[in-house]
Amino acid sequence: MPRFLSRRGFLITGAALGGTALVAAVGGAGYLASVDVDGLDGHLYGERAVLNAFVVIQPDSRVIVNVPKTEMGQGIHTGLAMVVAEELDIPFDDRISVVFPTEAHPAYSTWFNLLQIRPEEASGPIVWVGRRVLGQLGFIATGASGSTMGMWHPMRVAGASARHMLLAAAAARLDVPAADLATGDGFVRHEASGQHLSYGELAREAALLQPPDHPALKPASEWRIIGRSQPRVDLPAKVRGEPVFGMDIALPDMVHAAIRHAPVFGAKVARVVNEAEVRAAPGVRDVAVIDGQKVAVVAVSWWQAEQAASLLNIAWTQTEANGVTSAEMSARLKTALGSTEPYENINEGDVEAAIAGSTSPTIDATYEVPFLTHACMEPINATVLVRDDLVAEAWVSSQSPMAIRQGVARGAGLAGIEPISVTCNVTMNGGAFGRRSDQDVVAEAAFLAARHRGRPVKLIWSREEDIARGLFRSHAAARLRAALGADGLPMAYDALVATQSITQAIASRNLPFTPGPDGDRLSVEGLDKLHYAIPNRRMRSQHVPSHMPIHFWRSNGFSFNTFFTESFIDECALAARADPLAYRRALLRANPRHLAVLNRVAELAKWGTPMAPGRGRGIAIEECYRSVVAQVVEVTVAEDGEITVDRVFCAIDAGLVINPDAVVAQMEGGISFGVTTALMSAITLDAGTVMESNFHDFPMQRIADAPAVEVAIMESDEPPCGVGEPGVVPVAAAIANAIHAATGRRIRSLPLAITETNGERRRRTVLRRIAT
Amino acid sequence: MVELIINGTQVTVETDAGKPLLWVLREDLEVLGPKYGCGIAQCGACRVLINGESAPSCVTPIGSVAGASVVTVEGLAQQGGMLSVVQQAWIDEQVPQCGFCQPGFIIATTALLEATSQPTDAEIDEAITNICRCGTYPRIRRAIHRAAAILAER
Repeated sequence: MPRFLSRRGFLITGAALGGTALVAAVGGAGYLASVDVDGLDGHLYGERAVLNAFVVIQPDSRVIVNVPKTEMGQGIHTGLAMVVAEELDIPFDDRISVVFPTEAHPAYSTWFNLLQIRPEEASGPIVWVGRRVLGQLGFIATGASGSTMGMWHPMRVAGASARHMLLAAAAARLDVPAADLATGDGFVRHEASGQHLSYGELAREAALLQPPDHPALKPASEWRIIGRSQPRVDLPAKVRGEPVFGMDIALPDMVHAAIRHAPVFGAKVARVVNEAEVRAAPGVRDVAVIDGQKVAVVAVSWWQAEQAASLLNIAWTQTEANGVTSAEMSARLKTALGSTEPYENINEGDVEAAIAGSTSPTIDATYEVPFLTHACMEPINATVLVRDDLVAEAWVSSQSPMAIRQGVARGAGLAGIEPISVTCNVTMNGGAFGRRSDQDVVAEAAFLAARHRGRPVKLIWSREEDIARGLFRSHAAARLRAALGADGLPMAYDALVATQSITQAIASRNLPFTPGPDGDRLSVEGLDKLHYAIPNRRMRSQHVPSHMPIHFWRSNGFSFNTFFTESFIDECALAARADPLAYRRALLRANPRHLAVLNRVAELAKWGTPMAPGRGRGIAIEECYRSVVAQVVEVTVAEDGEITVDRVFCAIDAGLVINPDAVVAQMEGGISFGVTTALMSAITLDAGTVMESNFHDFPMQRIADAPAVEVAIMESDEPPCGVGEPGVVPVAAAIANAIHAATGRRIRSLPLAITETNGERRRRTVLRRIAT
Repeated sequence: MVELIINGTQVTVETDAGKPLLWVLREDLEVLGPKYGCGIAQCGACRVLINGESAPSCVTPIGSVAGASVVTVEGLAQQGGMLSVVQQAWIDEQVPQCGFCQPGFIIATTALLEATSQPTDAEIDEAITNICRCGTYPRIRRAIHRAAAILAER
């Protein structure tokens, strides 16, 4: 299997993603049938026994679990190792270690995310072809809250298969029936004779046995690890400050690079006015224009590279976007909301007739959110080595080895080099939130590495480049309308969102083909409110292009649409003079799963108990990533508008939960992320340029601002659902609803507040003064 | 040429006196625990103890700390590798998510508990100004109180 994705590979990716005929492209069904999509075959690798693509056993019985998912804080290395340990029947302790494999085995493919399906439920010809093609192409990525959902079953099977092979090896060694053997604590025991053999002793023989067709899985009643909180495997290294992140890579002969991107996206480098001066700066080895669009400085240290880059005087070309401001972008979105022909995503019943026929006033409200950026704590970076023999290797805190591989190919290609192979080392990510799935920084580093062959080049973006010159969550606005029936509940619900197509923007930078903007699922997720019983429903979307590079951003469309819709449902409840909780209960009467989550969070928050003047409670609920999540927020608003989020209560039905404490942590973290977004975050434009640059003007929550959080995990019959993003989703609407409860003011745009600096450390978050 | 003590070891660094301590640690000495997060003393990921005081190393020129004793997160564990009380509290409360900012929080907490053995929540809010984008704040608060309680028993 080629480990390097060629141009033909790109084309096949396009075909695969487009869902067109593939079989001919890769050589027919017979060839596809030979692709090992389960990864259950074993082999020997040095003294290690590779039982399958996921389980490696050392002679000392230590177990290495290959987890082809990026650890970016969510605890996935622990959760998936727990699943393997459960089926392998070993204790979950420090005899287990986890690595992100460098091999692009087809069994590591993220096919289930693209096909929107659970592996254990997958069947049929599209699945058969899809997972073989995607597996063959090394489509490996971490995102969409899909890692547990997509990998828990395959890795359960891998653990069970390895255990079965160890039993079979012991049966052969001891010459007893496998049925007379038992496993436990890393040993296979023969009770009748008292003999026992460690996994380490058996592993090499086991690895060469035929894996079982359908290994029996441990019944849930016998689980001792799954469902019980386990300490995370990555934390000891992290509290010691060990170098686990991409930024920490230190290699012999390494050189360092800093970079400057265009202040207005799309502008090109007309000229580096003072190149000679910068080249003469201390430690500088190179000044390079990359793809005509950015300028990098390579030096002996990053400090010197960054110092020299700050001297750069770059003449940029003018573009049509040079005059764009946030106000103009806002006006474009509002104009688009008046579009006569938006794309129709859903049209059930007759919304217009229901609104026209309603005797009560139509509820009609327009909402808006700004551009945002991810601001991962680890600034964006990549290290790439292109050897003289054109063998390449990359070390990147990335969400996707496929993005690394393609980025290296692209960047080296810009320098006229075609690497013959690329080894992708995925390091721990210092936060990701969707940001680290792009090829951008990898391509830049690879371009520089191709110019400095034989030396690893580590490129780090300064925080200023990250905030102002990076990738963004789209600016969005929506107009929502509803007509209420005699019972006060919506008879008709009409939703129209205007934003830049997220999928199109991402594809235009990362894929060889670009889909049309219409019908983009990521732009409308959170808008349909299908879980609410409403007889007439329409959902439409209008693509509004901009010059801004839009990217995945933790919870994507939900990050704005749920703010819009769950604020709007409160406005409907108010018009119906109904309690927001009771109103949602009525709308969810046919959905017991949602109702249970709603009731649980209300109970947790003691909804309905009196609150002091100036305080308020707000609620919101969403179904996302197959989970159902509801939150109640309590706020205090002072006379002068200063707002404090005091407490957040959260209930989630995330299906079967592998590591409960990790789910609690994801809810806590998602809530923090959501509160920061709701109260503090905006990326603004003037003269086409992002105005924010660092944490002083793109503020973040700190411990003094952090609310107390209480989380309840529901018992659930569902298989595992997503948890990385759901915690973020309801927060903004719940806060806006709480502010309304506290003050009577409805704020329909984010951020809800502005952050005022008051001295060096003190700051206040004060509600924005907006006509309501 | 600057002489100083890093995690108990005397070192001599030949570098521009204006180079920040953070980059001397990371590039000249390969002490990688302190992280670059903002470069303007906003986020605290680079915090180290300078003569026992928590300080942002990203804005501390190496020339200004000649002769000083600098302790980074790597220097907190005891001989033999046993975690410090604060580090152990971080494990016990399962604080880190991505973990990139945590060396700075652990350093800031170590300094706080040295100065204020039983900090109130308000004192924690005042003293701990680091940024964690993953939102581990509730656990950080619990870990600080846990570490304070364990230190009080000693």
